[in-house]
Amino acid sequence: MVNLRPHQQEVVNFSGGRMGVAAVPGSGKTQTLSYLAARLIADGLLEEDQEVLIVTLVNSAVDNFSKRIKGFVQDAGLLPGLGYRVRTLHGLAHDIVRERPDVVGLSGQFTILDEAESEQITRTIAASWLKQHPGLVQAYAKDEYALSSASRQAWEKLAVELGIAFIRQAKDLQFTPQRLREALAEAQVDDDLLNACLDFYRDYQQALDYRGALDYDDLIRLALRILEIDPDYLRALRRRWPFILEDEAQDSSRLQEEILRLLVGETGGWVRVGDPNQAIYETFTTASPEYLLRFLREPGVVSLTLPNSGRSAKRIIDLANTLVEWARRSGDLHPSLHTALAHTYIEPTPTGDPQPNPPDRENNVILYLGQPLSPEKELDLLVKSAKRFVEEHPDETCAILAATNQRGASIYAELKKMGVPARELLRSSQDTRAAAGILLAVLQALNQPNDPKKVQHAFKAVYFRAEREDSAQESLELAYQTLGKCSQVEDFLVPVPGRDWLAALQTNGLEDAAAAWLDSFRQTFIRWQNAVLLPVDQLILTIAQELFSLPAELAVAHKIALSLERLAQTHPDWGLAQFIQELIEIEASRRKFSGLSEDDTGFDPDAHPGEVVVATMHKAKGLEWDKVYLTSVNNYDFPSGSDEDFYQSERYIIRDRLNLEAEVTARLKALAEHDLAGLHLEEGAATRAARLNVAGERLRLLYVGITRARKELVITSNTGRNGSCRPALIFSGLKNEWERRNGTSS
Amino acid sequence: MQDLSLRPEQLAVARFQDHPHLTLRGPAGTGKSTAAAARLRGLLTAGVPADEILILIPQRTLADPFLQVLHAPDRPPGGVPTIQTLGGLAQRMTRLFWPLAAAQAGFANPTRPPVFLTLETAQYFIAALVGPLLDEGVFEGVKLERSRLYAQILDTMNKAAVVGFGLDEIGPRLTASALIEKNQEHIFADTQRCAVLFRQFCLAHNLLDFSLQFEMFTRYLWPSFLVRQYLNRRFRHLIYDNAEEDVPVAHDILLQWLPDFDTSMVVIDEDGGYRLFLGADPASAERLAAAEREMLHFQESLRPCPPLTAFAEGITASLNHQVIPAVPVDARARAHFLSYRFAPELAEGVSVEIARLIQEGVPPGDIAVLSPFLSDSLRFTLVSQFERLGIAVRTHRPSRSLRDEPAARALITFARLAHPTWGSWPSPEAFRAMLITFLEDCDLPRADLLTQICFPKKPGEGIRSFDQIQPAMQNRITFMLGERYERMRSWLQTYLNEPEEELDVFFSRLFGELLSQPGYRLHTNLDSAAVTARLIESIQKFRRVYQEVGGFSEPTGKAYIRLMDEGVLAAQYLEAPDLSESADAVLISPAYTFLMSNRSARVQFWLDSGSRGWFERLYQPLTHPYILSRRWQPDMQWTYLEEDRANRETLGRVVRGLLRRCSERVYIVSLEVDEQGREERGPLLRASQAVLRKLIQAEAGRG
Repeated sequence: MVNLRPHQQEVVNFSGGRMGVAAVPGSGKTQTLSYLAARLIADGLLEEDQEVLIVTLVNSAVDNFSKRIKGFVQDAGLLPGLGYRVRTLHGLAHDIVRERPDVVGLSGQFTILDEAESEQITRTIAASWLKQHPGLVQAYAKDEYALSSASRQAWEKLAVELGIAFIRQAKDLQFTPQRLREALAEAQVDDDLLNACLDFYRDYQQALDYRGALDYDDLIRLALRILEIDPDYLRALRRRWPFILEDEAQDSSRLQEEILRLLVGETGGWVRVGDPNQAIYETFTTASPEYLLRFLREPGVVSLTLPNSGRSAKRIIDLANTLVEWARRSGDLHPSLHTALAHTYIEPTPTGDPQPNPPDRENNVILYLGQPLSPEKELDLLVKSAKRFVEEHPDETCAILAATNQRGASIYAELKKMGVPARELLRSSQDTRAAAGILLAVLQALNQPNDPKKVQHAFKAVYFRAEREDSAQESLELAYQTLGKCSQVEDFLVPVPGRDWLAALQTNGLEDAAAAWLDSFRQTFIRWQNAVLLPVDQLILTIAQELFSLPAELAVAHKIALSLERLAQTHPDWGLAQFIQELIEIEASRRKFSGLSEDDTGFDPDAHPGEVVVATMHKAKGLEWDKVYLTSVNNYDFPSGSDEDFYQSERYIIRDRLNLEAEVTARLKALAEHDLAGLHLEEGAATRAARLNVAGERLRLLYVGITRARKELVITSNTGRNGSCRPALIFSGLKNEWERRNGTSS
Repeated sequence: MQDLSLRPEQLAVARFQDHPHLTLRGPAGTGKSTAAAARLRGLLTAGVPADEILILIPQRTLADPFLQVLHAPDRPPGGVPTIQTLGGLAQRMTRLFWPLAAAQAGFANPTRPPVFLTLETAQYFIAALVGPLLDEGVFEGVKLERSRLYAQILDTMNKAAVVGFGLDEIGPRLTASALIEKNQEHIFADTQRCAVLFRQFCLAHNLLDFSLQFEMFTRYLWPSFLVRQYLNRRFRHLIYDNAEEDVPVAHDILLQWLPDFDTSMVVIDEDGGYRLFLGADPASAERLAAAEREMLHFQESLRPCPPLTAFAEGITASLNHQVIPAVPVDARARAHFLSYRFAPELAEGVSVEIARLIQEGVPPGDIAVLSPFLSDSLRFTLVSQFERLGIAVRTHRPSRSLRDEPAARALITFARLAHPTWGSWPSPEAFRAMLITFLEDCDLPRADLLTQICFPKKPGEGIRSFDQIQPAMQNRITFMLGERYERMRSWLQTYLNEPEEELDVFFSRLFGELLSQPGYRLHTNLDSAAVTARLIESIQKFRRVYQEVGGFSEPTGKAYIRLMDEGVLAAQYLEAPDLSESADAVLISPAYTFLMSNRSARVQFWLDSGSRGWFERLYQPLTHPYILSRRWQPDMQWTYLEEDRANRETLGRVVRGLLRRCSERVYIVSLEVDEQGREERGPLLRASQAVLRKLIQAEAGRG
């Protein structure tokens, strides 16, 4: 039986209509929503063919929700697996498009490109696009960075990023290239930047069509189009999903809201739960917390809060609340940022709550703003401190959170160098890389079956994944070492009578347990060698299905298989060797590779006590550790909107610190909204607005970072690569406010 | 001689003199086709000349019951009756009466012979015609790979031909009824434009794709007095089986033709319609039943299993949102649910269960493992498990590209080696795969050793002899493999010294002289042998067209392989495979293939029961099986309501069809997480679980 807090109980009592819930970090919203879903099912509010639809942000959350609901439903004595469907928005859109593909000109076998693949396409377009638009470069380049062989790379990078941002925004506004062309003609706009980006978009879309492929944004856009075009289908879906529960609603985008609004209709039940203060995807997606905030104010919406959190020690909660308070009033901040954090405050759990807040330790909040630290010095301090912590608290969890992947990677490398047990959770998730790595090892052995090293490596990849009891580990190690001495692999893998390497070893006293490992590997290899003749995607699926048991791993393998299958279509002459080369790229994550959304695997910090986990603050969302370090909180990674700070989208090759992405997407939005003034706004206005957007999001990112900590928190800053950075205004401001309230200096 | 295994009503059907003009209807599994076959035997026994008998079927694989009569040791003496599809008949008549109608049909060179295109060769020409238009912006916004786009244009033309629409009706019909983005509507006009273009090209070059063959017959030959006279003289007795799976234009012709026969029998399966996506029209077949003819109705199932019938009715009710009727409690012992988390667990669980059944005395040949699709991976995993447990197994996968068949790939690798002047030398890896595919007992490590040593570094140099290898390495590779390799190499060497053969002839020789001999896998692997036969047939057909049209500089074989590499020749066989072989082995097959083979099984396993593939049509943006059918009112819109109704009908039909062909029990197998890591819980699984719940409730009520 679940023990709910009064505020949670209010949410669970939902039986229809619209409800908005502002939840603070650690307030148990997954648990509450899962319980609500199970209750709606158990109370018999659904017909046989109906489901509660749960929409969440990332795949790991899908698995998490499914497991919990399944548990609750079984507790209620019902058949598990029926009456609910958990999907990410992409998963939901996929379901919708799959049922009515021809309505939007698709065949049933359309393929979905992941971000890496679509980025690859933009890269192939960028070079020729730059050539075709020399005027554009001329108009925006700083004098010293006119297009030349020296600056080509920077320009191509800019073209790719500009293209991606433009295409994403255009799709969010439901502009196809053709419609956009018409809209520009109608509005009689002849804007070089818009026209050039439109060309980019058109080329990109043609490349997709040719492949029979969609990108993620198409998937969402087309799902919405289908609902608009086929009212009968919409009616059927409304009947199928009488209740929609939306998690992480602060990261909803315009299209997500439109799709869900259509699905809910006049009479459906809709619960949107989110924390507006944790909206951290605004600058690189079209998500915005505004949608949730507006919903909470909408007439007819029951607006509730989940204010209690048992996650963090009280002083950490105080710090998070102090940040909200400071941002609300600080005279140093641009006034528009006073609402960047919603004015909700975290409350500790009430007495007697099953999840009491951890007690405060001495000095458990350290805001380090002493001597300015160089990046190297900061790194050194962090690593030493984290090392000490895991040594002193082997049963507790610890994370160092960085603002960027790059910084995270150097932190991880340093931890490794210093012999600190560490684990990274950076852009390409561990499991993706691990799954790709295992497949790679097996494929390499199949491609070069006479290379003893490759075979030995495959053995290791297959068996050294799981943690085992010491004795099993020992025999496995022995088997591995023994295999290293096998020179004629065929005598081990496929012996002919009288030449069985393994049998001979056993006669000579190889211990049975080790022999059993080798024999098991041999059997597996014999099965796989027959699969070598299958097409590459089927070979990978066959191997993967034997090796992997996590949905996320299978999903990754499936993505890899599909991606290689597409390559096989265009390169019928390719063999394993070429596919292996591709896989090496994937494994080394020189190519990003992800599942249906950025974060594709569930990571459980509590499974890794005594290790230091390195992650970006973005990746850390939804996770918690006993001790957390927030690093590099300087005015490069955390600008505050002022001219003195750095803004990564303002490229050094562009004159006047213009943010071209912001400039062009603002015009695009103005075009969509028939906003003539917006279309002809002075240059630079959009750049300035974008700065404030970034600053607001960075405020929330810091808030997310702080609320990851249970017992201890350390925040540091550094002077940046050139030594020119200073601590972020939001950091120093927070520290001042904190000291003013507590009367101490930490 | 009277067949004792026949029931009285089947025997009555066989007495054609008593029932000269008969329509036989009934659900699946009631012995209609057996009765029709008995009638054929009756005709032959009565001394009717075999060449006066026409057996018409909608699809070649449905010929099985009749072939069995003809192959029976005690068959009456005499010739062989004609067993044809209407399409086949159309081609034959076109060949015979070409001069009669070629000019009228608009062919530019009526004095030159016709060239019949296969699906592949048609794709080849359409690619050449439409490819340049694509670059001009025709079909803009359509997300389709090119080969699929070409295939859909052809499909649309075929639909128009078998339903009886003109090519100019395609665009307006689809535009009026298909729900589609406004800015995409041009694609239907584009489809029509390309279809017309292709048709003009065919007329100009005497090429006949399927649609033109069909139209040539139905529009120009059939109405001709001479042709009718020929057909009437030739065929006096008709057996038309599975008429419900045939196309409306075939029914039109039969309606006119039936009265001309001395005896005729039409068989209609009342719950059929599995070939709907290929233009089949069961409603149109009803017109044949309505004609003034004697009517017989079979209702009694040959191997009845009332609990499963009730189970099927329960599923149908649930699908149609109706109250599920009471299902007898003994259905619990007949319908089993198996759930696994992952595919390998499923393969293991299912194979263990099958081993148990076999031990209990169920013959393997009476077990069918069915799924909506049969991916290579699923097939491989299942077959490996079955082999591990010593279970005999046979598999069938239709519409699979020959390019994906290891045997076809190995043959083509060999062809590249034998034609170094083509400039398409194989990779070492392809060579290695060829060794594994051809040489019996050749494992991967030894094939790899052979490749490393014998495959030349430079393209075009001959492959090295086993005799040149050092003895220690020969020993590692084994002399047995060495001997097989050496025989293959010397065959190649001999060929290289002879004048070049046509590719199909080359493969025929290679197969006959070498690969079908002991020591080579194709000697025992019948599947691979069948692939070889298909490849040879595909090349032959290509060659015929290629040489007939003429004007190409490239050798036929080289062109064939190049086009296959480019994916233009998909080398697909669309015909459902023949499941008639009587081997006592567990059948693994797509559900539709099984349904269309007129087989039954005591025990069925339904894999992937959560998949939507059990009922979904193939979504094709350029064509539409329902809108391009006669029943469709041109002013209606195909919305989700229609889609959903059609889906439920299809699924209901599949479930009833399968369970009528199941006499003992069915296992409904689901996966928690499919190949893609997704949870799939489609309508089939949900409906069967609803029936299960009902059963559990009934049981609890009794207890």
